Amino acid sequence: MPAPKKRTFQRARVCRYCTTDKDQIIDYKDTKQLRYFISERGKIMPRRISGTCATHQRQLCEAIKRARQIALLPYSGVNLR
Amino acid sequence: MRRYETIYILRPNLSENEISTIIDNTTAILTSNGGAIIQLDKWGMRKLAYEIKKETLGYYVYCDYATNPAEGAEMERKFRIDDAVLKYMTIKLNDDISSDEVTTAISDIETRKAARSAALSNDDDDTADNDGDDDTETDSDDE
Repeated sequence: MPAPKKRTFQRARVCRYCTTDKDQIIDYKDTKQLRYFISERGKIMPRRISGTCATHQRQLCEAIKRARQIALLPYSGVNLR
Repeated sequence: MRRYETIYILRPNLSENEISTIIDNTTAILTSNGGAIIQLDKWGMRKLAYEIKKETLGYYVYCDYATNPAEGAEMERKFRIDDAVLKYMTIKLNDDISSDEVTTAISDIETRKAARSAALSNDDDDTADNDGDDDTETDSDDE
């Protein structure tokens, strides 16, 4: 049996913000939530992995970039904890 | 007036007094021409995601306010001069806000804060109830 891929991350098929967290607002100050959408290297997760819809991916992208500006999230690298 | 929110990061080695004078000065600038502070929140010391001016820690201050663009620009000019401010970011939340909307926004935040603290105190009560009977465990020494 081949070993499972290094990623323990479950591939989401539907947009989180369109289903379970419908009333959640995407906020750049809420880094706990945003961390779910960035890789270990600090990159923004692509839609094909995170499963977010176009509208929410756009909002997330904006929020992550704002959080980076004010040093709440890293631009790159930095072993995240 | 427009509604903005600003986050600014202060140097970690400042004393309480220096921090409060900087905050007071900025609020004074923002409110000087009919502006109003909606929410001022000191997040306190936080680890920065990357180094800014050789610092790895920073004192975060969050401010939500309504003011005219000129005052905002003045505040940013002061920030750029002041060595104690590591970084700042201003975001426009609303293009036009009336004084009525300011008061509703303030009360809105107050109610939300009250609700949150009420929820927290409820949680405390629950835990307090739980540890009512913890002496039921009997110690038996088996030989």
